[in-house]
Amino acid sequence: MKLIITDIKDFSVPVQGPHQVIRANESIPRCTGCFGCWVKTPGQCVIQDGYHLTGRDLSKCAQLILVSRCVYGSPSPPVKAVLDRAISYIHPDFAIRQGKMHHKRRYSNQITLSAYFYGEHITPQEQATARKILLANAVNYDGAVGSVSFYSSIEKLEEVTL
Amino acid sequence: MKAVLLNGSPKRKDSASACLLACLKACLPESVSTVELSLSRPVLPEAAFDQLEGAEAWVFAFPLYADGVPSHLLSCLLQLEALPLCRGKKIFALVNCGFYEGSQTEPALEVLQNWCGKAGAHWQGGVGTGGGGSLVMLLKPPWGRGPCASIHRALTALAKAMAQGQAMENSFVTVDLPRFLYRLAGQLGWRQMIKANGGQGKDLNRQMD
Repeated sequence: MKLIITDIKDFSVPVQGPHQVIRANESIPRCTGCFGCWVKTPGQCVIQDGYHLTGRDLSKCAQLILVSRCVYGSPSPPVKAVLDRAISYIHPDFAIRQGKMHHKRRYSNQITLSAYFYGEHITPQEQATARKILLANAVNYDGAVGSVSFYSSIEKLEEVTL
Repeated sequence: MKAVLLNGSPKRKDSASACLLACLKACLPESVSTVELSLSRPVLPEAAFDQLEGAEAWVFAFPLYADGVPSHLLSCLLQLEALPLCRGKKIFALVNCGFYEGSQTEPALEVLQNWCGKAGAHWQGGVGTGGGGSLVMLLKPPWGRGPCASIHRALTALAKAMAQGQAMENSFVTVDLPRFLYRLAGQLGWRQMIKANGGQGKDLNRQMD
């Protein structure tokens, strides 16, 4: 299953195969850093607003696909808010991976992360940062990175099939 | 010289970012005056604009979230970019992460650096700190001693760069504890926290259907 997290309100990019789309809007409550998703309601965010089960949704996907405006090399604030609130996908305990400290797995599924970033004037530095962040996410999820691509507008994105 | 210290943690108390800023403040010479502002929400506080405009240097301090800048702070950066008051400001950053290695904050420092390019501000450098989960307990006066001595040294270098109006290379640092000990203490901490919330250690492993 493909899990798509996007900030595009009228998301109409064609998707092949079984998928779930999480639409991230500007008003999504942000992570408060309480760690409740690990030590209070393990496995889900304490803010019960529909986005609280993204960690579980991640456990059911083989591909995580971000379709997001590129903001300084990061996913946009709404998409980032969903990701920030989905750390319950991983376990709070630590594991050493590639010589550095990361989090242990909570689930056994293997995720491949891809990203389709859009926006005017995305600089080469922002592209490099975006690739680094995706790779860091993949290592922390104990997954892999798929494609990371950049488009100058949402319209250009609609020519691709996810 | 006036500097604004911007705490980008969403936590109102007990944040590692506040501890890092307190330590930095202690490292600054008297010639640098500071004002502290909180960026804990996705909207810039009204009170911030005058303070930001009147300062030469801004220091962002924030935690690493999902290998990047927390969502609420990204929203603040977008709002700031649209304001002419960013132009020419000298930008420093302190990023902390719960992992042991401070180098894991590098992508977040790059996001700030990229923001400077878009906002017309001048990137001056940052310090990425590992061991963030222990800073509230360990990073306190007397500064420069004990397991945060290396962090204090890194912040002293940043304070010097600020006072001299110079840029610096990003530096990465962590607590002066063996990694296995930091890991063990962190994992014990999760178990204490879940028990304090009425759960058991095994609940940390819960899987959602």
